[in-house]
Formats: sequence, C-alpha cells, structure tokens
Amino acid sequence: MSAERAASVVERLRARIGREVAESVHTIEAGHVRRFCEAIGDDDPRWREQVPPTFVVALGTETPELPEALEHGRGWLNGGDRFEYLEPIRIGDTIRARSRLVDAYEKRGRSGDLLFLVFETEYINQHGRVAVRSRGTRIRR
Amino acid sequence: MSGLELRPGLELPERVEHPTTRQLVQYAGASGDFYEIHYDQEFARAAGLPGVVLHGLLKAAFLARLVTSWAGDRARLRAFEVSYRGLDLPGRPLRCRGVVRGVEGGVAELELWTEDAEGRRTTLGSATLELLEPERGGQI
Repeated sequence: MSAERAASVVERLRARIGREVAESVHTIEAGHVRRFCEAIGDDDPRWREQVPPTFVVALGTETPELPEALEHGRGWLNGGDRFEYLEPIRIGDTIRARSRLVDAYEKRGRSGDLLFLVFETEYINQHGRVAVRSRGTRIRR
Repeated sequence: MSGLELRPGLELPERVEHPTTRQLVQYAGASGDFYEIHYDQEFARAAGLPGVVLHGLLKAAFLARLVTSWAGDRARLRAFEVSYRGLDLPGRPLRCRGVVRGVEGGVAELELWTEDAEGRRTTLGSATLELLEPERGGQI
C-alpha cells in the first residue's frame, strides 16, 4: 500500500475521533462469568458474586464501525488494554457500554506501517454510575 | 500475605501458566473473540505467525489473577494496564511475575510481566492497588 493511500486512511479515521459512539446493553449472567473463569483458569470463589478484572471484554460490546481501517494492512494485532475500576460489577447487574474512537495514528513498524486505533469504553451500571472505564489499542498491520 | 510488609522491590509469588490449544478455544468461546489466529493453525501460518497464538487478553487475565489472588480482600484493584510485546504459543509455560514498585498513602503500584521459556518479557503491565487496612501502616 502506498504511503499516500495509508495517510488518507488515517486522516479519514482522525476525522471520526470522539464522534462515533456505539452503545450496547448487557446483563451479567452467572453462567457466562463461570465459563469465563473456567477459560482463564481462575477459581477464586469471589467471582461467583462479582466479575474478575478482565471480564468486561467478554460482554461483546459494540465498537464504532470503521470500515476504512480494513483498507490498511491485512490483519489485526492487539496493542494493549487499560482498565480503571470504579465500582464492582456483580452478577445480575445491567451494564450499558458506550464505546468511542479516541485516537488514530500511524507508526513505522519492522514490516511496514502500522495503524493504531484507540477505543475508550465506559461500562455504566443500572444506577447510572461508571463501574469500569477501559482503553484498548488495536493495530492494523 | 497477612502481616506482610509492603515495600518497593517485594516480589509477588510467581504463577506459571500452561496454556493449551484447548484453553484458547475455551477463551475464544467465553470471550467472544473468534479471530482465527487463536485456533486455526493454517489461518495463523498464512497470517505469517508460527502457529496459533495466545489472546493478549488471556495473558492480561493471567496477570490480573496474579494480583487478585495475592492481594485477596486486603486491597482493591483500582487500575490495571497491559501492553502486548511478543507472541506466546500454547504448549509452552508462561511465567507471570510482579514486583511492588511503590507504596504511598495507602496505594501500592505494581509492575507486572509475562515471561516466556526463553526469558523474554512478552507482556508488560502495571496495577494500582488501594490498600484497605491503611491503619496497619503499609501492611496488607
């Protein structure tokens, strides 16, 4: 892919920073939390009542659709994740997730230009309070 | 960890994970991340990888567990961050390690990482813990 084409992809994405918001609503189900804990091998009994730290990623939260990102490179990499915990999320809670694109930039990698997309998601409980705020960096290579 | 004095340099008891392809399929199902590089060998090789690789977020879950199992109910996890630096393959042991970097005002900062069989740090992370018994003077 030419540098000009890639630059236009990142420019188009940058124009969407903060604007696109995807929302979804999720019920925290005991069986889902149990299967997640089995998958990560964590048998701590406290996860029978609340969710373990990385569970929110399993909610299937909608993220803004960014079809132009697929024009860059041929696959995805996960760059990193950050979680801020404000309140516990408990089984039975109803969580509204609001996700938006907060940054888009390019970096030169060993095998070509990498496109970085940063999403921030707020997980809001049934009391209207933000329980978890997460920031995920996804990379097109 | 009762009565343990928290001080910079204190290492968390390490945990060694032994991820399998079965676990990757389990994690794909439970997390909803069905990207084929985590369970389809041909797809993974066609994408230029040596084979199926661990989900970054599975490694994050391993590191989070390292912290929560060590802290128990004596501290609350306030923030947790990971950066994925290298690929890890199933069938190889993955050491999950951590060290206390600072303790101040009832808050402890931890440095975390995963280490592969060659000693490469494939995930770097950090955690902020709020100590719930500050009257015990930095002990948790």
